[in-house]
Amino acid sequence: MAEPHDTKRPTGSVNRETSDLASRIAAAQRSREGAEVGGAAARDMTALSRAIRLGSEFIAAILVGTGLGYLIDSLVGTRPWAMLVLLLLGFAAGIVNVTRAVAEMNNAAPVPARSELAPDDEDENDDK
Amino acid sequence: MADPNTVDPIHQFAIYDIFTLGDTGISFSNSSLFMVLTVGTIAAWLLLSTAGRKIIPNRAQAASEMLYEFVANMVRGAAGTEGMKFFPFVFSLFMFVLVANYFGMVPYFFTVTSHIIVTFALAMLVMVVVIGYGFARHGVKFLKLFVPAGVPGYVLPIVVPIEVISFLSRPVSLSVRLFGNMLAGHITLKVFAGFVVTLGSLGFLGVLGAVLPLIMAVALTALEFMVSTVQAYVFAVLASMYLNDAVHPSH
Repeated sequence: MAEPHDTKRPTGSVNRETSDLASRIAAAQRSREGAEVGGAAARDMTALSRAIRLGSEFIAAILVGTGLGYLIDSLVGTRPWAMLVLLLLGFAAGIVNVTRAVAEMNNAAPVPARSELAPDDEDENDDK
Repeated sequence: MADPNTVDPIHQFAIYDIFTLGDTGISFSNSSLFMVLTVGTIAAWLLLSTAGRKIIPNRAQAASEMLYEFVANMVRGAAGTEGMKFFPFVFSLFMFVLVANYFGMVPYFFTVTSHIIVTFALAMLVMVVVIGYGFARHGVKFLKLFVPAGVPGYVLPIVVPIEVISFLSRPVSLSVRLFGNMLAGHITLKVFAGFVVTLGSLGFLGVLGAVLPLIMAVALTALEFMVSTVQAYVFAVLASMYLNDAVHPSH
């Protein structure tokens, strides 16, 4: 990740340049190891894309649940029961999807420490 | 669109065959053409820009390296260092969606990602890789993905179907999101551009009024470029998060 204008850098002492490079490599490696799983997911999404994400997660689960139920019904011949049950399960799955997506977004953008809305320690264990 | 006074915002999504391979039913459509163009552009850009392999990169090489770093950090952030074996896959997906979206912004170009079958095929590709790799790597333990840890046994009959539906809904939401964004954006753009033409043909006052939708069309073009980028990013991030499930199936 050297910048293109590095070519024009005045040639200082070789030692200084190599130690600069070494420290930059060390810093890059540290930031690489520090990247935790699931952290960078939804960091810089716009509000619009966040809204679309939540909406599509919710609706997709309902559609998939209903479609699956319809499929089972037409295979087994129990119309409309599997579809009704799986519609409700799809609704629940949609809620699960949305809570997961929101939890991700919350992890990506931590609440400021002194905020009133910051979660207590007791609330934290719900979705783990 | 021969008649300038009829606005047909859907016309841009029409698929027609350019040539067909005998009577096999396999045809090369304008969609295929733009897929080939997309892949060709990506390959040509990446090959040409990294051909020099300079230690101190020039601009083109620096841009390619930034793309690499960006996707690499994304995969590493979502799926951990172990997930980096999927980097080529996610990078290909990201570049394909990104360049296809950008191609759609060029007038008279076809938007590959505005057809749900294309985005759904891409999403199913991700799902097949997740399921295939998950079972190959973890065997039956991969099914623990559907059994959240710490759930008492008597609620499992309810929780497991919910988890399965939630898993199955992923390719749908992934593909519908990309397809919906591109389709809606291009239709809106076409409708507002159509307003300019229609109002402009109504004489002096009409031309004055046409300024408003013109401003809107310009703003929407900028918005569409942003949406193109963000949706390619979202697609790749979610793909790598789903791949994370294949690498680490327990929640």
